[in-house]
This record gives sequence, C-alpha cells and structure tokens, in this order.
Amino acid sequence: MNELQLIPLLPFIILAMASVVTILLIAFRLSHTVIQVTGFLMMCLVVFATWYVRDTLPEEVPPLFIVDGQAALFTGVIIFCVLVIGLFSYIYFEEREENPKEYYILLFLATLGAAILTISQHFISLFIGLELLSVSLYALIAYLRNRNNAVEAGMKYLVLAALSSAFLLFGMALIYMEAGSMKFSGIAEKLPQVSSSPLFLMGLGTIVVAIGFKLALVPFHLWAADVYQGSPTPVTAFIATISKIGTFAVLLRFAQTIHLQQYPLIIAIFSVIAISSMIVGNILALRQQNLKRLLAYSSIAHFGYLLVAFLPGNEAGTEAAAFYLIAYSITLLSAFGVITLLSSREHEAETLDIYTGLIWRRPVVATILAISLFSLAGIPLTAGFLAKFFVLSAGVQQAVWLPLAVLILTSVIGLYYYLRVINTLFGTSGTADVMQKTVHPFFHVSTYITLVVLAGMLFWIGVFPGLVLQGIRLFLLLH
Amino acid sequence: MGMSLQQIVFGVLSIISIISALGVILSKNPVTSVLCLIVTFFTIAGHYIMLNAQFLAVVHIIVYAGAIMVLFLFVIMLMNLNAEIEPQKRSWLKYAGAISGGALLLVLLAALREASVSSLQPGAVEIGLISNLGKTLFSTYVLPFEVSSILFLSAMVGAVVIGKKEGHES
Amino acid sequence: MPVQYYIFLSIVLFCIGVMGVLMRRNAIIIFMCVELMLNAVNLLMVAFSKMWADAGRVDAAGAQIFVFFIMVVAAAEVAVGLAIIVMVYRKSQSVDINIMNRLKN
Repeated sequence: MNELQLIPLLPFIILAMASVVTILLIAFRLSHTVIQVTGFLMMCLVVFATWYVRDTLPEEVPPLFIVDGQAALFTGVIIFCVLVIGLFSYIYFEEREENPKEYYILLFLATLGAAILTISQHFISLFIGLELLSVSLYALIAYLRNRNNAVEAGMKYLVLAALSSAFLLFGMALIYMEAGSMKFSGIAEKLPQVSSSPLFLMGLGTIVVAIGFKLALVPFHLWAADVYQGSPTPVTAFIATISKIGTFAVLLRFAQTIHLQQYPLIIAIFSVIAISSMIVGNILALRQQNLKRLLAYSSIAHFGYLLVAFLPGNEAGTEAAAFYLIAYSITLLSAFGVITLLSSREHEAETLDIYTGLIWRRPVVATILAISLFSLAGIPLTAGFLAKFFVLSAGVQQAVWLPLAVLILTSVIGLYYYLRVINTLFGTSGTADVMQKTVHPFFHVSTYITLVVLAGMLFWIGVFPGLVLQGIRLFLLLH
Repeated sequence: MGMSLQQIVFGVLSIISIISALGVILSKNPVTSVLCLIVTFFTIAGHYIMLNAQFLAVVHIIVYAGAIMVLFLFVIMLMNLNAEIEPQKRSWLKYAGAISGGALLLVLLAALREASVSSLQPGAVEIGLISNLGKTLFSTYVLPFEVSSILFLSAMVGAVVIGKKEGHES
Repeated sequence: MPVQYYIFLSIVLFCIGVMGVLMRRNAIIIFMCVELMLNAVNLLMVAFSKMWADAGRVDAAGAQIFVFFIMVVAAAEVAVGLAIIVMVYRKSQSVDINIMNRLKN
C-alpha cells in the first residue's frame, strides 16, 4: 500500500478525524455551539473531499476496500444525512441540558462505520464496519439515560445486534470454508464449484438473517418499534437512514460481486422476506397511535419495497434502489425533523394527540410533515411516488410479479394510515398547545429552514427527477 | 482401529467444552455460568494449540478469560445477582427456545453430512506463529487494524458516557 | 483428523449458544451465550485457516487475523454492553430482558 492508494480514502480519514477533533474540542471545554459548528464544517469538508477524489475513482485499496462510484454515491447520501441529523441534534439536546458533547463523537464514529460498509469488499471490513456502527449505536440509543425507555431500548438493541453479528460471522465462516477466500471477488471465483454445497447455502442464509436484522426486515424486525421509540429522535433518524443505507450498500455490493440473484433459492428467500416485510410492516402500522412507532413500522415496509428493487439484480434495479434510498432519506429526515422541532424537554412529540389540529397552530411545520407523509405514502408529485415507480419498472423488467403485486396492494393499505395522520393534522380539537422553542433562535431558525428545504427537495425530486437520476447514473458508471 | 493421540485429546477437550457450554445455559447461578464459560474458553484455547494457532491461543486466554470474563464476573458480583432474582420464563417459551435451537442444530448437522471436506494434516503450519501473523496484520490488514482502534475509541466513549455518575443536572 | 470434527464441535457450541439466548431471560447470561457463539465461530475460522493452509493457500493467515479482529470487537462490545446492562440494573433493579413485553400492548 502506498500514499496514492490512500487518496481515495480521504473522505473516510477526514470523517475519522472529525471525531478526534470533537474530542479535542471537548477537552478544551469549548461550548456545544462551537462543537456543533466545527462538526458541521468537518462534514462539509468530507463532502468536498468526496468531490475532490472523484477523478481518482474507481480505486481499489486491496484487499479490503474498493472506492468506486457506487461507494461515493452512498457515502454522499450518508454524509448528507449526518449533516441534517447533526443540525437537528443541536436543538434537541440543548433543550434537554444533559451534556450533549460526547454525542457528536459517537455520531461521527457511527457514520464512519456506515461509510466503511459502503466501500467494503471483504468480510473483515464488512464486519468491522458493521460493528463500529453498532457499538456506537448502542451508546447513542442509550444516550439520554434518564429518559424512560432509552436504556431499555439500548439493551434490546445490544442483545439483538450482538446475536445478529454472531450469525453473520457464522455465515462468513461457512462461506470461507467452501470458498477459501473472504474477499467478495475471491468467493465469486470459486462459486461455480461450491454453489450447490449445503454448508455454503447455510452460510448465505445466516448472513441474510444478520442483514435482515440490521435492515429490520420481517421476521427480524422485533426490535424496530421499541428502539425507534426509545432512542432520542435524532438517533432514531440515524437508525432509520444512515445505518440502513450502509447495510444496504454492502448487501448490494456483495450481491453484485457474487451474482447473488442467479440462485432461485436466494431469490425465493428474499422475495418471501420482501413480501412479508411489506405486509407485516403496513398492517402493524395501521393502528399505531405513536408517530415514532408508526414510522418504525412504515420503514419496515419501505425496506420491503426496496428489496423489490434489489430482487432483479440488474442495472435498473441498482439505480432504482439508489433513487429510492435518496428519496426515502430526505422524506424520513423531514418527518423526524418535525418531531424534533415539536419535542419539548419533558415530552417527545410522539403521540398523535400532539398533532391534532397542528395545521392551525403551526401551519408550516404541519405542511412539512404532511408533505413527508405524502411522500412516504407515494402520492404523485412527491419523491416517494417516483421512487416507487422506478422500483416497479425495475421489477417489471425481470418479471418478479408476486412481489410487485404485493407492493401495489400494500401501498394502498399504507395510504390509509398516512392519511389518518394527515387527517389528525387537520383535526379541530387542538388542546395541548405546542411550546414554541425560542431558546436558541439561530439554530431554531436554521432547523426550520432545513426542513423547508427538505420538503422543497421532495417536491423538486418528485417533479424533476432528471438531475438526481443523471447524478446517480454518473456515479454508478464509475466502477 | 486405534485412535491417534491427537484424536483422543480432541475428544476429551470437546466433551469438556460441550459439557461446560451446557453448564453455561443450564446453571441457575450466574456465577457458575461464568465459571463454566471460562472452562469452555480454556478448552477452546486447547483446540487452538492443536490447530497450530499458538498466538491466537495466547490472545484468546488473555482477552477472553483474562479480560472479558473478569468483567462479566465483576458486573455479576457488583449486582449481587443470584438464582432467585431471575424470573423464570414460562415453560412453553423455554421449550420453544430449546426446540428451535435444536432444530437449528439438526439443520446444520444435516448440511454438514452432505458436505465433503478434506482432512487436516497433522504437520505443523507456519501461519499461526506470531512473526507471520504480525507481518500479515501490519501489511495487508493494516487499515482494518486502524479501524479497530477507532472502534475502541467509540467503545471507550460509549462506556464512559453511559456509565458515568449522574451529572450535575440531577 | 477430518475437519468435520471441528465443524461438528463448532455447530454444537453455536447451537448451545442459540438455545441459551432463547431460553434465558437474564441479559448477562444472554450476552455470555453470544460470546459462546462468537467463540464457536472463532474455532471454526481457525480450523478452516489450517485447512486452507494445508491446501497451500498463502492467504490463509487472513482467517486467523479475522479471529483476532473478532476478539478485539467482542472486547469492545462487552465494554459498552455491560455498561448498558449496569445502567438498566441501576434503574430497574433487574436485568430481565423481555423482548416481547412491549409488543403485547
């Protein structure tokens, strides 16, 4: 390895440095604001570095990493999400007056873990990236120790994540036994000889269990609602977006390298998982009275939709998946942003009662929430609609009819509960007035502006997807 | 057909590890569980030595028996846990757990029966020696090594943040 | 000695770990069972490393490095995990993991 090979890793090195810089700032007892602004600037630097190194792509850093266009694309989305989540975190944690500074260290480290997943092409880097993400998440979920469910949610996530990584490793060991290599491309080379071996298939199966857990797919979704509800809202947004994007990116690379989709058995397993995720997620969401839990179930369903784009294993599927993840992230970030904005020191704004008649009291915020719910439901003119449309067209190309049919049917079910929330927004009995946050005017206003921009992006992508699609294609060509 | 010395050692170590592993999950007293687990770890270290992975055997003893299990024991003693505290699962849940674990075992063993894998040669291989592993670790795998150091940073911050005394706010 | 023996032993240890996770309610014991599962994997990895080294693969040392990383990660995970479990115990005087409890209501 030489210096030249390290250049493509520049964004990741800066990301790692961001956490060290944060530690130094804490050591010098600088204020929350300084840390927040520095973190923001560091993340901007990462984006800049990603842009700077794009000419050197694709570059392999053997044997563990490969930085190509797809990795850069997913890293870009991840960094975008952490920029927004970092901004939301300020007002959220400042309000609670618990010392929020170490939070940023963990946030950046978890982001680094997800980013490493996007460039992994080897079991070791996959495992270490995933564990960096999980270990940071344990602490992030349990961060507000004095809140009701935070520590319990942390423990639940801890036990299940540790269990799932044991399964992951077991699968990796079995695959290593058959293939003699832990590098994805090395496995792909040996594949013709080993693909019918039962131990190899068992290995793939246990890896699917672990990935399914991380993406909260049915039947490995039991943690999702409790963890979403128990964690601080910005962390919930993190789990819903960054953690899942990283995991999905590595699943995608693994599948692409070893041509996972050529096995009918694997396709069958993923179809069953996708179908049951769509059905169970949407049905469990139907009667939810808690917005965070509702979003948890809705994200189970959404990753079921996403798997439909993954099933064909073609170029269009990858494109559709990337577009879906971008649209989904922006949508969820705006929804969680609204929850953050409405949460007060004592109450997380999670029960639907708080939202009754919100439109009359806080018209802008309510409109943003409504737009993001429309996008989740997949109403035309929003990003969510086009995302679903691309998934459908990718699926039609490879004729995966059953999952497609379920996708359409469950989308209709989904419509019901999203519209129910929107109906609540227009309700009349607005009793509990939501406290206006004016403690930190600058950050309050910037959060507000961010939300408006996010909602605008949802419309913009929903009406003019060309630019985003072009960007995705440009990046995906770099491989 | 006589068994070689290696097979006898393997058999004895395996029986001890399986029995002590069962002890971990069946014993009512958490301290006994920890001790059983430590025995399991020592037998696994024995297997490592038989597989010519001397370095890993030593690291395994130091990290698992020395650090991790002591931490477990420490926490259990700190909480003063004993058998009476743990509420028992309703028995059908327990049986369901045992049955699904057993089903997994059967499936895996069935898959193993189908598999055709080679034999291990008794001769020594060089790869498990510390010089060889060190060279590999710090040349080919230096980047994940750095990432694992970052992981430790994360674990350290996490443990401190969660475990620290209630601050001034309370 | 056939490598099947080692696979057999690892599978048995792994499944004992899975049973423990499913049967017990004490979070610490469950966590210990996960460690047991990780060790089963480690044993498997070391055996395969020897197997591929015998077959003449020069990169078989990679599997032993992987085991080394698994140990490192397990140590980190235990540090954070036990901190969380102690926190739970301080709050509720119990380390009962009840995965299903909230899904009931």
